[in-house]
Amino acid sequence: MLPNNQVRVSSMRVVSQTVCSDITDKFTNAASKLSTGQLVKDEYFTLFEAVGALEIMDSKMDSGYIGPGENQAQALEDDYDVTRKLTPEEVLGIMDELLCHEMAWHMGHPLSQTLFTSLYLDKLLWPVPKTVEEARFNRANTDREKEGSPLLHVVLRAYCLALVKACDFVHDRISHEYYYEEEDFVTQLYNRTLLSQFDTAHFVKLIDQAISWIDQQEGTIDNKLRDAIKSRLSLRRGLLHALDEDEDIKTKSTEHFTTCLPHVSSLSESGSLGKRIPEAFSEKIQRKLASTVPPRPIVKISFEDALAHLKRLCQDAIDLREVLDYRGPHNFRVAIWTLLSRKPQPSVYIRALTQALLVNNTNILGSISVKEFLYSDLTELVFPSSVLLQSNTDETEMPSDPRFQIARHMDGFVKRFGQPFVDTYRCASLNRCRVRRTLCHTVVDWDQLQMEAEDLDEQLRTLSHEPPLPLPNGDTTYSYPLSSWTYHQKLCQFRSIIQLGFELSIYSPEELPGMYWYLSHICSTHLGHIDRIRTFIASTAKRNLSSLIGKKRHALEQQLAAQRSLRLLERLTTQIVAVDAFAISLHALYVLLVRHNILPTASSKQAYSSERLRYELRMKPFLPISLPELVPYEEFRREAVLEGDSDTIVLDRATRAISEARKAWEATLAHGPFLADSDGKVNKAPAIEEDWKRDIKDTMKACIGASIAIESVKKALAGRKDSPDSSSTPIGLRIEIPGIGSKARWHDWWAVPQVSPAK
Amino acid sequence: MSNELTYIRYNAALENTYVPAMRSLISQELSEPYSIYVYRYFLYQWGELCYLAMDKSRPENDQMVGVVVSKLEPHRGGPLRGYIAMLAVREEYRGKGIATRLVRMSIDAMIERDADEIALETEITNTAAIKLYERLGFLRSKQLHRYYLNGNSAYRLVLYLKEGVGSVRTTAFDPYSAIPGDPLGPVPLLQGNREFV
Repeated sequence: MLPNNQVRVSSMRVVSQTVCSDITDKFTNAASKLSTGQLVKDEYFTLFEAVGALEIMDSKMDSGYIGPGENQAQALEDDYDVTRKLTPEEVLGIMDELLCHEMAWHMGHPLSQTLFTSLYLDKLLWPVPKTVEEARFNRANTDREKEGSPLLHVVLRAYCLALVKACDFVHDRISHEYYYEEEDFVTQLYNRTLLSQFDTAHFVKLIDQAISWIDQQEGTIDNKLRDAIKSRLSLRRGLLHALDEDEDIKTKSTEHFTTCLPHVSSLSESGSLGKRIPEAFSEKIQRKLASTVPPRPIVKISFEDALAHLKRLCQDAIDLREVLDYRGPHNFRVAIWTLLSRKPQPSVYIRALTQALLVNNTNILGSISVKEFLYSDLTELVFPSSVLLQSNTDETEMPSDPRFQIARHMDGFVKRFGQPFVDTYRCASLNRCRVRRTLCHTVVDWDQLQMEAEDLDEQLRTLSHEPPLPLPNGDTTYSYPLSSWTYHQKLCQFRSIIQLGFELSIYSPEELPGMYWYLSHICSTHLGHIDRIRTFIASTAKRNLSSLIGKKRHALEQQLAAQRSLRLLERLTTQIVAVDAFAISLHALYVLLVRHNILPTASSKQAYSSERLRYELRMKPFLPISLPELVPYEEFRREAVLEGDSDTIVLDRATRAISEARKAWEATLAHGPFLADSDGKVNKAPAIEEDWKRDIKDTMKACIGASIAIESVKKALAGRKDSPDSSSTPIGLRIEIPGIGSKARWHDWWAVPQVSPAK
Repeated sequence: MSNELTYIRYNAALENTYVPAMRSLISQELSEPYSIYVYRYFLYQWGELCYLAMDKSRPENDQMVGVVVSKLEPHRGGPLRGYIAMLAVREEYRGKGIATRLVRMSIDAMIERDADEIALETEITNTAAIKLYERLGFLRSKQLHRYYLNGNSAYRLVLYLKEGVGSVRTTAFDPYSAIPGDPLGPVPLLQGNREFV
């Protein structure tokens, strides 16, 4: 289905300045010569224009349309009186409904279908108030005495204004970061403001006044209701402070979001006390908003969903502060990706906030230069000859000095690689669909980067006089540190693209054996690459050992750094072995399911495409990549079906691999998420660590599930052997592949089939 | 309800008869609201890729029970890409293979015109449609987050018709030109390509 949405369809047409002239007669004359339905368009009239068009006099599209029998007033105006007296129950009901709308907006719905349907907010915000004073419900009347009950003009007004100010912070944060309009969030304000020109202090003061008024109402308002209203006001104050503080990235306090959490709980208890007033919200306001979009229905989300969203927002914001405990690029990457991969994924506000923390004032976390950040990662992973990282043009001014030239090359490297490298972190802050799509693009960029890095490596090698490493066969080779590092990044992206494919339910059942084979193929390529890096680090360390005898402090430091790199490589190896073994096992299991005709297929015999064409389509993101080379279809097919291997061999492969996988995941879990510094210090990030562990444990549960499935297939195959004509006997099993979100799907990345006896 | 359904190719001469019925059928069955210009955009340029299923046993002005609307043009200067924009079958006529038949007719017409590939999107909750296209050999190439006005996400489904389509170069374009985010905001670091039909 075509999306009826201008953002999705094409790019905006630029309309240049025009001179107006009356063409009514010419137009009428020309139009009279056309038959109905005939389209006259220039080549610039695209689908975008067609989709963006509105039909005048169509009630669904024309926001000014007044239907037969309707009069102007009925069609455009609401007769709800916002100055009417409200009971405490009604105030509570309005507050809670506003919160629902606020959270719906956070979730990505436009203001026009959420908060801006409130007649109360409409009155406060339109016409745009010039002072906070002016933002009142009874705007026509300047006599404040006649304003009505304080419940309305003190309590509800304070709540509404503080809410709008909170929206202002959220809007400002998101719109200044990278997000997808309409997909993640709708920034449209319809020519209204969210009171951005007024300082937070005004709103805090109003809330404080409202709270003190409520406190004085003992005996006049029921205690339960008083507490409920007070709790809502306190929540607004907490949120205002919290969001205000987020504006200043460097503050590490989690205090304000923490104070919000108990209020959220108390709201859920007192939610039933409120009395909803549906008439206080109206679709008709949309007709007055500056918008080209036809009015759409009011978005309704439940109070429970709204509170759950708010609670997660607070908790995510609190936990986000844990990433500020910076201990090297590797640990930082684990922290960022773990937090932002939470299910449900943190909201767009949190993701925008993460981006602001990540790159702030062109520095990482506001204090680490991109060069320093990049160099740390190089040190951690490939530990290239220190000359490369220590040369500096400022210190060596002789252009003929090799160190000068090295420094120049390295500066070029930082310029070229700094941004793509930082982007590998920022990518985590996109919505999950975009994470995969973005990786599909960046992986091609990294392929190009790798070629450039290889050239650089060759030039640097001669400048630094890197000694060659002899190979057992008599050849020699060099470390290629920069391109090795680049290739590692690229292989990580390959793996993520494949695994996100599972998470986003992109593969059809018949693709599962092939995709798990491909995943293991990428893993084993990666493991081979890590081995190569390890060999060079070990040999450099060995060389340095001789200079250590002279107790040079520098050599000792190098030795410690080398050890840390080796530990990191060990970690990476264990984890990739774990993924590899699990993938091998599932691949083998699925091969058996295919062979015995119990794996369902999505495509039919009447399909327009062949398996070869579908393989090409699935490999689309990798087609332009030079390394690792694309696996030719024939080879892929042979590998995917394990051609030539008997059931017994395949079964054995599945069994052995799953047991290796379980061991490797246990080892991964035991290591924990973070790598300690050379002095033994490790990140303090308990919440993120908890998420990380849960993820590994879920994977281990999936491993157990796979073991059980393999066992069932084994038994069925063994049982069949006893029957006289075993090859033609059905295996007597049926399978189900639990979908994403179902309880039996232990982990999004591992589609483990449930095997049961056929009925 | 008759078993005798007839399938016809859209004919511009009969716009007055067909288009209102088509619109009412589609607006009933699909969640996205389209203006008359969207229909005209497709029908005027690619009417021959549009097919209708008619039940002649119904009253004369209410015979249309299924419709498919498509287009076919080079995708970003690269492969000739067919695009199935709308597919709808009256609820009481579902499960009879009408949609499959309509889609096949449209795809066959695209193949006749030398299409390299065919793409479309469908709501991820629309399992019937997904199954239909997957049976015909489409694969889900990506998920599109909150793609539709109702907030639902979509799958993009793609069918390659010729070998080598995946390697055909398309023109690069500025991925940020269409992002209506804050024009005064920071230059985005990320390479985020928007997808266009």
